[in-house]
Amino acid sequence: MSDRKQNLPQLYRFCFLMLGDSRKAQEVFNATLREAASRAAQGELPKEPFWLFREARWRCLEASKTDLQPEALEMDEHDITSQAASQIKQLEPAQLAIWISAAADPQRTALALFYLDEFDYQEILDIAELKLSTLSRCLSQGRRQLQAWLDAKHPEAQKA
Amino acid sequence: MKTLGLLRRRRALLNCAPISRDQLADRSMRAAISREDGSDEFVNQQNFDRAVAELVRLVPIPAESAEWFSDKEAVRAPKWTWRRILLNPAVLAISIALVVIAGVFTFNLIGRLNDFPGSATTRKLLTVAGSTRSVMLDPVSAEAGTLSDLFFMKHGLEHYDVPEEFADFRTIGCRVFDDDESQRIAQIWVAEKHMQFFLFPAERDSKTGAVLAFPGWRYVHQEGWVGAVTEHNGVCFMAALQGQEKDLKPYLSGPKQ
Repeated sequence: MSDRKQNLPQLYRFCFLMLGDSRKAQEVFNATLREAASRAAQGELPKEPFWLFREARWRCLEASKTDLQPEALEMDEHDITSQAASQIKQLEPAQLAIWISAAADPQRTALALFYLDEFDYQEILDIAELKLSTLSRCLSQGRRQLQAWLDAKHPEAQKA
Repeated sequence: MKTLGLLRRRRALLNCAPISRDQLADRSMRAAISREDGSDEFVNQQNFDRAVAELVRLVPIPAESAEWFSDKEAVRAPKWTWRRILLNPAVLAISIALVVIAGVFTFNLIGRLNDFPGSATTRKLLTVAGSTRSVMLDPVSAEAGTLSDLFFMKHGLEHYDVPEEFADFRTIGCRVFDDDESQRIAQIWVAEKHMQFFLFPAERDSKTGAVLAFPGWRYVHQEGWVGAVTEHNGVCFMAALQGQEKDLKPYLSGPKQ
């Protein structure tokens, strides 16, 4: 397996974005790697690329099944502004993770995989088992919703 | 309609445009970006995405999880070591099968090495010796060496001579019978260690009819019985007793083959 396909720091970050909680992310991350180590010891490690990320994704979805689920609300959407980058710089990584983890799947998976900046869009389609149109919609809506949240959180930056 | 579809696809691709330019491997993605490159909307999107990706890179890795990074080999497929190859069930099964085949082959080879002309008959006669009771024989009390005259006079068996090593032994009884190949077999029971003697025609070449002679004494084993066999004048003699070779050895003179 190439180093890129088993970039373990990125795997942890993916779990963190999916779950928005460091403790849960560690649990899923450790469980995924334990499973991989066990399979490797038996010579049964799947040869398919991105197996670790796919396995971690299902574990994240399973782990968050029992959590409070986001209400099906019509979220505000704003156009992306040129000030967005400075608004984002004011965020903590944990705040972003909590926001992404609160999204319903497959948007949650799409945003987490995309913003890892690890995979191209075809690889994301493969890992998340999505169509291009769905991935596109998830990312587009995600950006606009995040912009709306940023505008609500940092209105002063919006005015500037 | 086709143009609309193309526009939709281009829009979809732009929404998925990579954050880092080094991921621009896809031709259709490159084409979509080159058309849109420089537009305010796309520049804002790219800046937005880069800022979010930058923030994601700042996600700290807990020390406990970082321990895995130094042990990347743990999730790699294990290397094929000699020990691993030998413990592979398929290799193990084949190895055991080969050892068993080699064992059977060696056993048969050793068995064949001890074979001599007439060895099959001697084994049958050892089975006969094991099942013979004294009442089945005609009582005869004489020296074993003197019975050759009896076999010749009464049964017409020529050269059915007891070798001199066993000629002085006192007999209890004797009989002559035909085996399943209609060969005339002489059987003598002696008092010494309840030993039994057998005299029977030596094996002959099926084409020429010549006697297949062998020198000295040969041992044969069957069901706890041991026999010492020699050939002389086209007749084989076997001294048999229940025991081992060492029980017969003291009676034999000359080199053992």
